[in-house]
Amino acid sequence: MHYTLQFGQVTGYFPYLLGGAWLSLQLGALSFLIGMAIGLVNATALTFGNRLVRAPVHAFVIFFLNTPLLVQIFFIFFALPEVGIVLNPYEAVLIGMSLNAGAYLTEIQRAGFQSIRRAEIEAAETLGFNLFQLVWYVILPHICKVLFPPLSNQFIIQLMTTSIAAIFGVEELTGRTYNINAQTFRSLEIFSITAGVYVVLTMIASAMLFVIGRKLFRVTAKVF
Amino acid sequence: MWQSIIDEAPRFFGYYNLIFIGEALLHTLALSFVGAFVGFACGVVLAVLRHERLFALPPFNWLAIAYVEVFRRIPFLVKLMCAFFAYQLLGFKVTMFVVAVTTVILSAAAFSAEIARAGLESVHRNQWDAAEAMNFTPLQTLLLVIMPQAWRVVLPPSFSYTIGFIKSTSIASQIGVLELTYAAKVLNTKGFSAFLCFGTILVLYFLICYPTKLLGEHLERRLAPARRR
Repeated sequence: MHYTLQFGQVTGYFPYLLGGAWLSLQLGALSFLIGMAIGLVNATALTFGNRLVRAPVHAFVIFFLNTPLLVQIFFIFFALPEVGIVLNPYEAVLIGMSLNAGAYLTEIQRAGFQSIRRAEIEAAETLGFNLFQLVWYVILPHICKVLFPPLSNQFIIQLMTTSIAAIFGVEELTGRTYNINAQTFRSLEIFSITAGVYVVLTMIASAMLFVIGRKLFRVTAKVF
Repeated sequence: MWQSIIDEAPRFFGYYNLIFIGEALLHTLALSFVGAFVGFACGVVLAVLRHERLFALPPFNWLAIAYVEVFRRIPFLVKLMCAFFAYQLLGFKVTMFVVAVTTVILSAAAFSAEIARAGLESVHRNQWDAAEAMNFTPLQTLLLVIMPQAWRVVLPPSFSYTIGFIKSTSIASQIGVLELTYAAKVLNTKGFSAFLCFGTILVLYFLICYPTKLLGEHLERRLAPARRR
């Protein structure tokens, strides 16, 4: 063991690293929001659709839940150009993460839909609500409280998953760590700093989500 | 495009490629299941260490809590790189497979500790009190009273986490462990259609993960915790 840790050489890169953290946060939040939209549509289809609608949605969810995100993005990035769809790395990662998050969020939101009482839906139908009104005015407010803890967990997981973007050359937190590693060769130092940044980042996100859940929806469950 | 894939398929599924993919499949299975089992054992130890009614010795329970909180919050890729460079720094000459197994164990231990903790907490406190009243030692309480009741709560979620570890092992391709994702990359580099390479690998991952998930769901229905205290 002829190696001494020298953190001094990499501390100068800290602002650069935090810029990467900001990009990670954006990527995580954006893919989470798109995933939410996909999940909402899918969960609505699974709950209210007929068998013809449910089957493809179900297949989508099962497929994306049981295959690794990395290989999904590899497929999007390398195989889709063969059919003429050429994406840059950021787009490929964003699409892959959104679809993956969409599958998880479908499951979570479907569980939320099932927590609705039948009588409430019947009341809304009696009032002549259409499907959109039913979802927007009756179901969503009710399930916010039930759904907030699992959705927060999923967001934190999504935030950590963004590190996969580094493999495709997106310069987010881990991607910038690769860059700094290539410039300084202080590998363990910079990767442990990055690990610390991830821990602090997700802890801040957990704390904020806990406070928001407490104030808005009176959720007392621990977040991640 | 379909035509070219159909033309290429017999060559892709040739003897040597199948051997190559089979070897990669074995590595993926070994990596994820060894990692999950050893990690689960470590996770149970961590959960026991931090539980206030068992071995709550101050430095150890704090360390267990810190470990769980920190290692759950580091992405697998970053953990992998840290393990990779840490082995290098400590001067061990190990294969990449060992580095990857270490990483899976590190993250499996952190996640399983949470499942095991939920299992320990699912046992009603009267049971703990009764064991204490009968003058059981903490070890006896754990082995004779708590574990026989907790395992049915712990087992089903640990299957869904195992799927997570199987999926995480795809990231181990980044340090050059010969597992499914790496095999796909190698075959793709050799000139086979990416559609075929990554499509095959996706199907293989699905064939590993989906039965595991079904087994977990089956156990969850079978082992639904009895409503007794």
